[in-house]
Amino acid sequence: MTAVTRPTASRPVSPLRALLTMTGMEARLLTREWAPMLFAFVFPPMMMLVLAGVFASDNGPEFLGLNGTDYYIAAYLAVPISAMTLIGLPVALAGYRERGVLRRLSASGQSQLTVIGAQVLVTALLVVLGAGLVLAVAAPVYGLPPVDDLAGVVGAFALGAGMLLTLGVALGLAVGTARSAQALGLLLFMPMWLLGGGGPPPGVMTGPMQTIADFLPLTPVTTAVRDAWLGSGDLGEPLLLTAAWLAGGLVLVAALRRRRARE
Amino acid sequence: MCRAVRLARLEGMKPQTLSRTAPQSRPPTPGAGADHGPGLATDQADSAGRATDTVIDVRGLTKTYGDRSVIRGLDLSVSRGEIFGILGPNGAGKTTTVEAIQGLRRVDAGHLRVLGLDPFRDRQRLRSQVGSQLQSSSLPERLRVGEALRTFARLAGDVVDWREALDTWGLTSLRRSAFGGLSGGERQRLFIALALVNDPQVVFLDELTQGLDPAARRETWALIRQIRDRGATVVLVSHYMDEVEQLADRAAVLHDGRITACDTPANLVALADGAVRTRFTLRAGEHPGRLDQLPGVVLVAREGRRTEVVGDRTTPVLVAAELARVGILPEDLTVVRPSLEDVFVQLTSGEVAA
Repeated sequence: MTAVTRPTASRPVSPLRALLTMTGMEARLLTREWAPMLFAFVFPPMMMLVLAGVFASDNGPEFLGLNGTDYYIAAYLAVPISAMTLIGLPVALAGYRERGVLRRLSASGQSQLTVIGAQVLVTALLVVLGAGLVLAVAAPVYGLPPVDDLAGVVGAFALGAGMLLTLGVALGLAVGTARSAQALGLLLFMPMWLLGGGGPPPGVMTGPMQTIADFLPLTPVTTAVRDAWLGSGDLGEPLLLTAAWLAGGLVLVAALRRRRARE
Repeated sequence: MCRAVRLARLEGMKPQTLSRTAPQSRPPTPGAGADHGPGLATDQADSAGRATDTVIDVRGLTKTYGDRSVIRGLDLSVSRGEIFGILGPNGAGKTTTVEAIQGLRRVDAGHLRVLGLDPFRDRQRLRSQVGSQLQSSSLPERLRVGEALRTFARLAGDVVDWREALDTWGLTSLRRSAFGGLSGGERQRLFIALALVNDPQVVFLDELTQGLDPAARRETWALIRQIRDRGATVVLVSHYMDEVEQLADRAAVLHDGRITACDTPANLVALADGAVRTRFTLRAGEHPGRLDQLPGVVLVAREGRRTEVVGDRTTPVLVAAELARVGILPEDLTVVRPSLEDVFVQLTSGEVAA
């Protein structure tokens, strides 16, 4: 008769400590792997510089009665959110699964949620840095327009970042390889940027363009940030739409995690 | 069926292995470790005081992917302190089996216990007792060796000093090297160090030496023995026969989702019904007499001065004695016995061996 030995105690590390440890590791890695994020950092301030300059004298109905420069500076505060969350985050997450890093961490008892949480925290930091870069470039060149509702700007920015981070995680879980994540991420980013606030103003868009824009998740975010900053509209509807996208994203992430767990 | 090793049989069959298998006493871990657990007090022990308790107990393990049945009612049992090899051709279900035992893969049916815990229900509790090196797993390319060990040690609750682990596994000079720049052997050393960073009682090593050059493989073998000598039980998944023959105290051959044989490598080799070949070269004028009359000899083949005597396991001794008796002392006498590979091919015939 042989007996099965039972361990008398375990030595679990707290989930918060695990998350902080993983976030620290991810942040260190980011300082060495910044090249793939270069586009996400450079593109928004570059486009903002061009468009805010070109439409400096416009303040017609196509810009909802706002000054073109102010319109683009406010809108481009939100553009780095989509750049970081759709171009950087999914590639990192899908790459980890593809290369077996998630398996390695999972074998060490780390929940996939810890890894996702660390990636989300690091990307959130990049989003803040990216938005800060837009402001830092805009301020000396064009000057920043006065903020009408600071709490509204911060709230809309944070809710929008949370929503797009969730969609970025969903994309990272949905695709099998880093290459697919990169291709799909760019494919999602480009129309969001172009029609969702970073391209032509709503007043010059054709009907179909406007309809597509209404169904893009970045549109309510740029609208809410811009309206809160410039006092140009009611925040209720865009914030509600952003929250709806967030809820949809969370459901999608939960479903994708369940699917991955069955593999 | 592959039950826990019976020491009496081991003593009889493989004394040299038995002396290797006696693990050093595991250093007591405060508040943890089975050495203080209730199970060990009632366990059997051999004459040297070695406990023979079961650390892994699997019965009726079944797993299907869609309509493809990968594991079909697999039973196995691994004892404390042994290196247990799992052999099998590609697609035999080796990785699925060890990942299921670690709770990393859901199973359709079966009773699984590792250190008395259910790998799924008690997964988090078990993780602190189990070390693992998974096939096709990796680390971020830019992560440095020191950072990897420090991070994994912290995630494991800092039960092992990561600087000491660097030193133990010969990684100190690589501390600032990025994972992406390491050689195959260096990566495996790091994976072993990471697998042991929680001071585990059971360590799973899946295809650890795949893709390594012969020197790096032998270096890794020494590390695997070192793990066992530190007191851990090792489950070694491999498709290299020589590796299992060299390292494992017992091995199971997995084929078509079942275990077709499970024993010490020596006993597994004895299962082979292959012939033993004795080869030597005669000098001019030497005539060895009637070797074909010796007991057990089935064939004597000559090609020029090269001679091959085919017979059973006692044939080489009889041939050598006969040659010496007539004054022939060939300097190149070699014996080719059936290997674990021969047994493997026989047991898994019909499949392409990995």
